[in-house]
Amino acid sequence: MSSGQKKRNFQIEAFKHKVVVDPKYAEKTWKVLEHAIHEIYNHNASGLSFEELYRNAYNMVLHKYGEKLYSGLVSTMTFHLQTMSKSIEAAHGGSFLEELNSKWSDHNKALQMIRDILMYMDRTFIPSTRKTPVHELGLNLWRDNVVHSDKIQTRLLNTILELILRERTGEVINRGLMRNIIKMLMDLGASVYQEDFEKPFLDVSADFYRVESQEFIECSDCGDYLKKAERRLNEEIERVSHYLDVKSEAKITNVVEKEMIANHMLGLVHMENSGLVKMLLDDKFEDLGRMYNLFRRVPNGLSTIRDVMTSHIRDTGKQLVTDPEKSKNPVEFVECLLEKRDKYDKIISLAFGNDKTFQNALNSSFEYFINLNPRSPEYISLFVDDKLRKGLKGVKEEDIELILDKVMMLFRYLQEKDVFEKYYKQHLAKRLLSGKTVSDDAERSLIVKLKTECGYQFTSKLEGMFTDMKTSQDTMQGFYATYGAELANGPTLVVQVLTTGSWPTQSSVTCNLPSEMLALCEKFRSYYLGTHTGRRLSWQTNMGTADLRATFGNGQKYELNVSTYQMCVLMLFNGADSLSYREIEQATEIPSSDLKRCLQSLACVKGKNVLRKEPMSKDIVEDDGFSVNDKFTSKLRKVKIGTVVAQKESEPEKQETRQRVEEDRKPQIEAAIVRIMKSRRVLDHNNIIAEVTKQLQSRFLANPGEIKKRIESLIERDFLERDNADRRLYRYLA
Amino acid sequence: MILVDGITLLCNDLQVDPQDIVMLVVSWHMKAATMCEFSKQEFITGLQSLGIDSLEKFRERISFMRSELKDEQKFREIYNYAFGWAKEKGQKSLALDTAIGMWQLLFAEKQWPLVDHWCQFLQARHNKAISRDTWSQLLEFARIVVPALSNYDPEGAWPYLIDEFVDYLTECGIIQKDNVSDDWSYKL
Repeated sequence: MSSGQKKRNFQIEAFKHKVVVDPKYAEKTWKVLEHAIHEIYNHNASGLSFEELYRNAYNMVLHKYGEKLYSGLVSTMTFHLQTMSKSIEAAHGGSFLEELNSKWSDHNKALQMIRDILMYMDRTFIPSTRKTPVHELGLNLWRDNVVHSDKIQTRLLNTILELILRERTGEVINRGLMRNIIKMLMDLGASVYQEDFEKPFLDVSADFYRVESQEFIECSDCGDYLKKAERRLNEEIERVSHYLDVKSEAKITNVVEKEMIANHMLGLVHMENSGLVKMLLDDKFEDLGRMYNLFRRVPNGLSTIRDVMTSHIRDTGKQLVTDPEKSKNPVEFVECLLEKRDKYDKIISLAFGNDKTFQNALNSSFEYFINLNPRSPEYISLFVDDKLRKGLKGVKEEDIELILDKVMMLFRYLQEKDVFEKYYKQHLAKRLLSGKTVSDDAERSLIVKLKTECGYQFTSKLEGMFTDMKTSQDTMQGFYATYGAELANGPTLVVQVLTTGSWPTQSSVTCNLPSEMLALCEKFRSYYLGTHTGRRLSWQTNMGTADLRATFGNGQKYELNVSTYQMCVLMLFNGADSLSYREIEQATEIPSSDLKRCLQSLACVKGKNVLRKEPMSKDIVEDDGFSVNDKFTSKLRKVKIGTVVAQKESEPEKQETRQRVEEDRKPQIEAAIVRIMKSRRVLDHNNIIAEVTKQLQSRFLANPGEIKKRIESLIERDFLERDNADRRLYRYLA
Repeated sequence: MILVDGITLLCNDLQVDPQDIVMLVVSWHMKAATMCEFSKQEFITGLQSLGIDSLEKFRERISFMRSELKDEQKFREIYNYAFGWAKEKGQKSLALDTAIGMWQLLFAEKQWPLVDHWCQFLQARHNKAISRDTWSQLLEFARIVVPALSNYDPEGAWPYLIDEFVDYLTECGIIQKDNVSDDWSYKL
């Protein structure tokens, strides 16, 4: 079946006859096309057949008349554009741009049609001969014959700039027309837009704003100026969005920023009576926000604001902390600090966008001036004391936290955190022992905060104080469970057993207790030592309180809340009608300064004078005599007689605390030196000072002189030695 | 053991004043542990190493020993040796009176113009014993820092006593403050 078939070959031959081409064919066809182009430009295209024209153009290209077609197109189009150019030139005044715009739109339509007709040329002939495609050719010809014609080029630029100037001065202009014209320039290519419009536009704008900003700054205050600048800036941005190239936005805003802001920055910030300082003083959030937003746009803008703000905070802060009036009341002092802090916090969050660098500047400024007053740690602790004693009554839990957080923030600024700890311990001890603390939760919450900030070591003693309080409660329960029945008729004793070391040490002499109390105290002592062997108890009579029931001569009964010292004094009057100062001193053995204070509050405070003093006067002297004030009355049955307590420390007390702090620092500095030298083995003087300072920073600022003394002490004790060759080098001796 | 009396006799034989600084040099050569004392061992080994076997030779050597003080390196060794030699046994530091006496003796050799101020300063402000470090650093201070203090560096790792001495000098107007280089804020 396969072998029976024969292979057949097919052959295709060329036409035998020649295709005759009319020699005038090209000329004729071009005439048809040229005519069509004329008709298109004359708005007469409705009678033309697209199919016929396309075919003609196709054939011309096919018959290698592309060149003729292309050059014909160029000359015909040029002719029309020149005519258009004439008519545009002839347009008067305002109609110039409109004429230009309408001719441009005509040309565009015509160009579209022509391109359609000549599509075959566009696709084959033009790429192969590397000629400009029809559409681009149309634009180029328009550019050369119209936009760049002598009589149009400058007139066009001037007209556009004139219109923009008019718009800037408040006139309404035809933005649609502007958009079309600018769009035309953009269509003609980026370089045309830039050279023929953008560059001169930016130059003119710079001149305009240079003059305007000078005028503004002479006649308006800082706030108004900034408003104007902001408005100008927004106008320019709006202008770009309406009728300019998006890429121009950065350029024109740059011009406005430079002329209106950067060039006047210092003048604005320091403007008298309305500059930055005034705004800060008056909490002008809106103006400050505006300044921030405008200044951030220019180089060094924000640092200018920040510097002025920093030096302002530092100056006013320094005034605040060194003002002796303010130092009189520690609570007010701290409230002023907090107020100031809140004020700037608010400014930074509302006006400065919570800028981190501004927050840092704020913090460093506070750190700077708070530490200018060496009593700041004491005052902050007193502030906490005030809040935890009474200030927080009726305040919601969240608000308490808020206040404590603010205190912590101030605490963080302190360089001498150990001094704060000292005072805090003293104040806390007084609060706990007098039962004056309002909220246990608040107390503990602050301790937790201190612990997170400074570590376990910082608060361990403070926590020990709380533990002592709790243990004491249990001990008292145990004591009364054992002896309750036996003691039911006598006075009630409440003992707080304080661990030595955890509590601020106060060397005090035990005063002579009334015999009733003495017996009870002894009973407790033997009970306590019976359960806790090997311990030692000593009575801190200077820290206790007592509740007394008193019956006065007129039969009035009162309950008196007094200190232990006062109790000792008053109990003496159970056995005597009147006593002299000396007798009281002898019987009680209370230290004289304490005794004077306690007598003062018993005899010299109006409404609480349960004793009468002879002679009547404000101050207690050693010749005074005292008797029970039979005429004592009070509206309340319970009378609380406070001791005249010194709120903040007196000068000698302060010195003493200072000395204790310095003493406590010595071992810490030595420990730091040894730690560092142990790991480094050899270190030079300056580095060791720097490292020690750094290590101790979280607790206090070590004095270089003191560090030096500690180093010398360690050398003497053979922990370190000086290098033989280089005397600035220290060596660790293991 | 040669004690005070014996030393007086020795000095008589050598024809030197017992207060003469050269006795310090003698002690240094003998590696004597304490002032006014030579143990037998110290005395014999000392003389052996010096090659002295007669009083004449000893006497001859005295002027040479005096010249040894002019040698800067030896002077430093003698100076530093003096601290241990002069201090009381069992003490770490040198009693102020003794120290002042020694300085006056030693710096009379060295001719440090501030020595009297230094001693006055110690009596007025310090009045405590002197540590070995302060002792040895003072020689360095006298050696390195010029009397006008123009090259004194407050951060130069000087013992605090020397820093305070510099403060004292300017405070008392002995030295003009502007002569002292560097900033002073560091000490605040």
